This record gives sequence, structure tokens and C-alpha cells, in this order.
Amino acid sequence: MPHSTHWGEWRKYNADGLHGADALAAGLEAMVTGIASGPDTKRGIAARLRYLTASKAGREAMAAQGISRRALAAWTAGKRSPSPKSRAALDRAYWGLRRQRVVAHIKRRLAREGRGTRIEIDPVDQTRVAPGRRRDLNVRRITLRPTTWATAVDAWAEGDTTGLEAVWDDVMADLGSDGEAYEYVSSVGWAA
Amino acid sequence: MTGPLDPIDALLEEARPLPVPAERERLRTAAGLTRTRVAAAIGVTPETVRKWETGVTDPSGEHRAAYGRLLDGLAARYPAPAPPAPESAAPGAAAPAVSESSPARAARESHRRHQQRRTTTTAEATRGELRERIAARVSTELERAGGDTDAAAAALIKKAIPDVMELFAATRRTARYEHTSYPSLPQIFERPAKGEANLIWEARPSWRHPGLRRSPDGPLTVTALDVNAAYLSALKTHLPIGRLEHTTGGGHDRRRAGVHLIDPPAWHHPTAPNPLGDREETGPVWVTEPTLRLLLQLAGPKHRLIETPRIHESWTSGATEALLDGLRQTLAEARTDAIATGDDVTLTYLKAMYSRFVSTIGDSSANREMMRPDWTHIIRSQAFANLWRRAHKAAAASLTVVSIVGTDELHVAGDWRTVWTEGTGLSEMKVKTTPRTGEPVTYTMTEVA
Repeated sequence: MPHSTHWGEWRKYNADGLHGADALAAGLEAMVTGIASGPDTKRGIAARLRYLTASKAGREAMAAQGISRRALAAWTAGKRSPSPKSRAALDRAYWGLRRQRVVAHIKRRLAREGRGTRIEIDPVDQTRVAPGRRRDLNVRRITLRPTTWATAVDAWAEGDTTGLEAVWDDVMADLGSDGEAYEYVSSVGWAA
Repeated sequence: MTGPLDPIDALLEEARPLPVPAERERLRTAAGLTRTRVAAAIGVTPETVRKWETGVTDPSGEHRAAYGRLLDGLAARYPAPAPPAPESAAPGAAAPAVSESSPARAARESHRRHQQRRTTTTAEATRGELRERIAARVSTELERAGGDTDAAAAALIKKAIPDVMELFAATRRTARYEHTSYPSLPQIFERPAKGEANLIWEARPSWRHPGLRRSPDGPLTVTALDVNAAYLSALKTHLPIGRLEHTTGGGHDRRRAGVHLIDPPAWHHPTAPNPLGDREETGPVWVTEPTLRLLLQLAGPKHRLIETPRIHESWTSGATEALLDGLRQTLAEARTDAIATGDDVTLTYLKAMYSRFVSTIGDSSANREMMRPDWTHIIRSQAFANLWRRAHKAAAASLTVVSIVGTDELHVAGDWRTVWTEGTGLSEMKVKTTPRTGEPVTYTMTEVA
């Protein structure tokens, strides 16, 4: 991944972790909830079909995944059930649409009426780094403004890694003089 | 600024030794001087003075000479040895080169008094305040429900999770350690699917005496006992503060807590419950801190009931027993008050708070303030270990332990009142009652022929 390198060869002495932008994306991903049943269960298929056939956007999402109207008619009429390939397409269509639709809701939750949401940044895991090579890193907490969250959520929804990295660069800058040490982290969490 | 000086003297001045950085700051604050004033007197920026005091940089040249003179003068007035002296230095402390106006002195005096008042916020005072907050919440809800206690209790239960998280945050405000709320977790905590169990074994007891059976006219009279607020007591346990870190081999470090992969020791006492709970598998198992500590205690010289369990791997972090202790004491005191006044609404509310705290600080979508499934496991295991210890205590007092179930149920035969006081306190035991009739649960047993 083409991550910028504020910390140079950060893995050289066995530090372990992931890029802050990836941790941020994972946290946002965890905020998307939806149908809990798997894409290969009867219940899961029925729930996905129900969601996707309820709106024009849903039918378009299925069409974009190459699901024909004929096949759809057969499934909803109960004549056939989707093949493994179609089930995967159905799953992609469902989560694609679902993610698009929850973006506004996630932004609203993170904005918390203009107050923003505080994140907790757990630094990289240095257990396997030789004691002399360790950096003195603490858990840091910082509140991200609603505008920052909006940028981050948009970048995440579009799969824009560079955009998320830019957000993380700003977060590091806000952390102060040793902010660059938090380019890579072990986890980022927040309550929203 | 030092006036005409012999060049050799000037050099000596510039090469003078200075006290260590921390001492520099102590001397300045003892005199009640700000960095800005010191900086102005020497001719540098306050930021530079800060760097000298934190050891980031050291002064040199004529700045060193001036700073050294200032520190020497201060050291003469405020000598180092007296351990917690800084307070005594404050009254009327005038800086060497500066005289103070009386409003400025008054300002310093009031600042000192304010600081002193702040430091008197004891844990006890905080808990008192929090108890009042709980009482206020209850009375607000009662008022809103127009005295309908059921409605008020239902409304309070709905708010129990955010309220207990707020209480927890308040008890940690003056704490020494700041815990991590969203650490990355090792794979062993991952659930294969929602609602399914992960690899951690909490050692839940579920045991019945194999040599006894129920019989209407048996010689043994068994009483079913209940531990009061088992999860509330279990909040006092060694909890990992930060992210869990992996170690292999090695022994047990008492200053750390977490989860451990152990070989379960064999249990050769069929008439007593296994401290590892109702486990039929024999291979290695991940147990939590309270279970391991219980096993180590039982393997120790005092008991010698089992072999020392072998620890293969551990995921641990620096631990403290005090993390949830403020919360526990606050809730326990409120509980005592509520029992004394017969306040059932508050009792229901308190119970919802501590039980939901334990069940939602893991990975519940009902509580996003924390993601510490390790804490949930550890607290539950602590409750189970506490119950096992009670069974052990009963057996040691030659009562017959008949059954031990879940977090709080213990059935014994014999005069249990010689072991525990009957009551509702956290260290006391109460007799289990049937929900419908309210009669105490007792039955008779006989030995299996």
C-alpha cells in the first residue's frame, strides 16, 4: 500500500501495527450494520432480496452486479434459488447499497450535534522491539471535528485510501510534536 | 547584565554546575515564580526556560551564569531535603529580584488556597457526590412517573448503561492510570459468529455432589444459599489496564493480568467441585486471571490440592485491582443505603447498572463506550472464583457442599450460620426463596447406596 512514511522504516525493529488510515477505515466499517444472516442461508437470501427489491436503487444495484430481471423473478417466485455465484453477487449488491445509505447516518452519529467524536489511539505494538530501540508512546485521545469526520467518511465510502491518509495526516499534526509516531497504530476506537 | 567581571571569573560562572532539571522547576515553583518572569530576568523566552526545566536543553554562556545564580539564590531559601515542602514556601514568598504588589500577593494566596481545596477532593467525597447523583436520578424518575414505582424502575433500567458509564468515568477522573478503551485484541477473543462463544474458558461452576440424592426423609437437610450481588463484588479484580501483550513460557507475573493458555491440572477430589468448573475436555485451555490465581493458590503450600498448572502462553497487560473499585464502592454504598430504607426502585436501578456494565463493556452494540471483552471475561471468572472460595470455606468448616451453580448459588448441608452471617451485605449470605411463595428453599438428601 502506498502509505506515506513519516516514520521511515517503522517495521525495522519489529514494531507491529497498521496504518492509522486503515484503522480508521476498519472502525467505520464496524459501524455499518445490516442483515446478520449469512449470504448462503435461506433467511439471509430472503432478507437481501426483500431489501433490494424494495426500491429502484436496489434493483439498479442488482442490475449493476449482473443479476437479470428474469433470474430475479424466478427467485422471488420461489421457482429457483440463486446459485453460489449469484448469491455472492446478491451479497455484493446488498452491502454496496447498504454502505451508500448509511453514510449520512454515520456522519450524523460522529458529528454528535457539532461536538465531534473523541477517538482513542493505541500506539504500535512494541513488545517485540528490543528495549533500547523502543519509542516512548502512550495511548492518545483526540476529538475529531464533524468536518474531519465528514471527509473521512466520504473517503472511506469511495474507497479513497489517499483521502483517508490525508485525514490521518491531519490527525497526526493535531497530536502535536510527536504526532508522526502515531502514523502506524495498533488500534483506533471511538464511541458513536 | 552581570556587570564588569574578571574574565576568569566570568568563565567560571559560565561553567558552573546546575541542579538537575526537576530540581530547577521545584525551586522556581517554590518561590512562586512563573517561567515568564524568570525568562524575562535572564533574557530568554519562557519556552527556553521550560526546556531547561524538563532537561530537553541546558543553558550555556551568560544565560547559564545568570540562571545558575538565580537557582543558587533560590536553593539557599528553599533547601531541597524537606520532602513535601512546596506548600510551606508559598506564604509571603517574594522572588529575590522582584517585589510584589499587595493585590498580586493576595492573588497568590487565593491561588494557593484554591489549589489546596482542590487536593482535598478525596475518593470518599467523590463517592458521596456520586451517591447523591444516583439518588437524584431516582427521585427525578419517580416524580416523572407520578409515584408509579414500576414505571420509574423501567425508565431507570433503560438509562442504566449510559448512567453507569458516566459513573465509571467520574470515579476514574482522579485516577492514576488511564485505561485503554479500544485496544486491539488477540484472535482468541474473536467469536466465530454473533452470539457464539470464543476460546476463553470462564470456569463457570456447575456441580452436584455425586454421592447424594434427594429423598423426602433423608438425614441431610440442605439449604440453598445465595451470594448477594455477586457481580458487584467481582468488580474488585485484577484487570489489565492497557493492550494485552503476548508472552510464551515463563511463570506468572503478579503485576500483570490477562488470559493464559494452561494445561488444566487434574482434580482428584470427587466430593468437591473442580475450581476449573464443569469441564470435560482435558487438553490445554485459555483461562482468565482470576481462575489462574485461584489454581495457583490451590497449588500453593497452604492447600496443595492440585499440581501447579503449566502456563504455555499469556496475553497480559500491567494490572491493577483498583480500576473498578471506585465504581464498586459507590454502588455498594448506594446499595446499603437502599436496603436500609427499603428502596426497591433504587435497588433495581443499581442492579441493572452493575450487571449491564459487566455484560456490555465487551463488544455489545448497546454500549460503545468501551470494547474490553477481556474485562467481561475476567469479571465473570472472578465471580465464579469467589463462589468456589465460598464453597471451599464451607467445606473447611465441615459443612457438606451439595451443589454449586452459576454465579451465586450454593447448596450446603449443616449449620451454615456458623460460617456466614445471614443478611443482604456483600460478605453475607441469604437463603434462596421460591419466587412464588417466598418460602426458603430447603430439601433433604440421603447418601447413594
